[in-house]
Amino acid sequence: MRDLERELRELGAELVVPATPDFAARFGSGPHQERADPRSRRRLVLVLAVIAAVIVGVAASPARTGILRFFGIGAERIELVDRLPAVQPETPLFVGSEIDLADAPFPLQRSDVLGDPDHVYASGDVVTLLYGSPKRVRLLVTEIGSDELRPEFAKKLLAVSTALTLVRIPGVVDPGLWVEGEPHVVVLPGAPPRLASNTLVWTNDGRTLRIEGELGVDDAVRIAESFR
Amino acid sequence: MHQDIAFRAAYLVTASAEDAEEAAAAGFLKAQRALARFRPGKPFRPWLLAIVVNEARNRRRSASRHERIGLRALAQDRPGDAAPSPEASVLAAERRRRLLDAVSELPEKQRLAIACRYFLDLDEAETANVLGVRPGTVKSRLARGLAHLREELPDDA
Repeated sequence: MRDLERELRELGAELVVPATPDFAARFGSGPHQERADPRSRRRLVLVLAVIAAVIVGVAASPARTGILRFFGIGAERIELVDRLPAVQPETPLFVGSEIDLADAPFPLQRSDVLGDPDHVYASGDVVTLLYGSPKRVRLLVTEIGSDELRPEFAKKLLAVSTALTLVRIPGVVDPGLWVEGEPHVVVLPGAPPRLASNTLVWTNDGRTLRIEGELGVDDAVRIAESFR
Repeated sequence: MHQDIAFRAAYLVTASAEDAEEAAAAGFLKAQRALARFRPGKPFRPWLLAIVVNEARNRRRSASRHERIGLRALAQDRPGDAAPSPEASVLAAERRRRLLDAVSELPEKQRLAIACRYFLDLDEAETANVLGVRPGTVKSRLARGLAHLREELPDDA
């Protein structure tokens, strides 16, 4: 007896479908595309990046800012605002109480690229791994013990001119959000607002993860890929 | 990556490159506007494809195109196949043509289920998401569609 399902799959591979037109280009370009490195980012930044670019573009239109008042990636709430709140530039980093790595409130996903952090902090279901020192932070890794949006977890405020890019992280189902360029403000529970560096936010296995530091998207994606 | 499968999905519904491009572009635009409603943690591709397929179906309906879809398959041997005899090549090509015709003649719900599952290689859960139905409904549509195809194309055809 013939395997009809196999025949159909083979037929699907042979269907004559015209070459995909570059319809996404109709949406215009965003600020991130001007900075894109075609050698490596092209394979990481999906066409979804265009969607994010449009989001930024649309946000600049006062009549349509309502679309972007609210945006969620995992447990992190992202708000696009016309004007960032005033933040003390010397605001000391506060991300919770320092704990031992073994005392984290849930099993952490770990990166075999980064190794052990220099400090670990916890605030409720938010665990922050700090690489460097509190006064000279090299990298912050935040894990939130949920991928469901909950307003008490974390909030990020972006100026409308901030570049947002959705990026594909190999081995991770859903795209991550890369925030780069213009300063933005992050608000973690129980902590004063502070200015944040470039940030990648993504979800994996029921967790929301974010890495923040003076790094580019390629390095950020490489680090994100290493989390298991 | 998503652009390719979105266009392919739209083309499978409309069988028109122009309509497929319009549907895919409109679908992307709608997805962008609806991104805030996308539930994090849910697979993105079926969500996007569902919007694109819906756009394509609307275009097909609004154009009153009730004729069967006019898809074509490559009339060539697959790489890696042993060199077939001329008779075998003709028979294989004829069977592919008849199979494609039979798929094109299926009722739309069955045809879309078949297209998503086998032509786009989505799994049943993704197909259900794209079509906005329950996985059980996908199973039954696939089963009915496959039964129709088997009736149209007996093993010796």
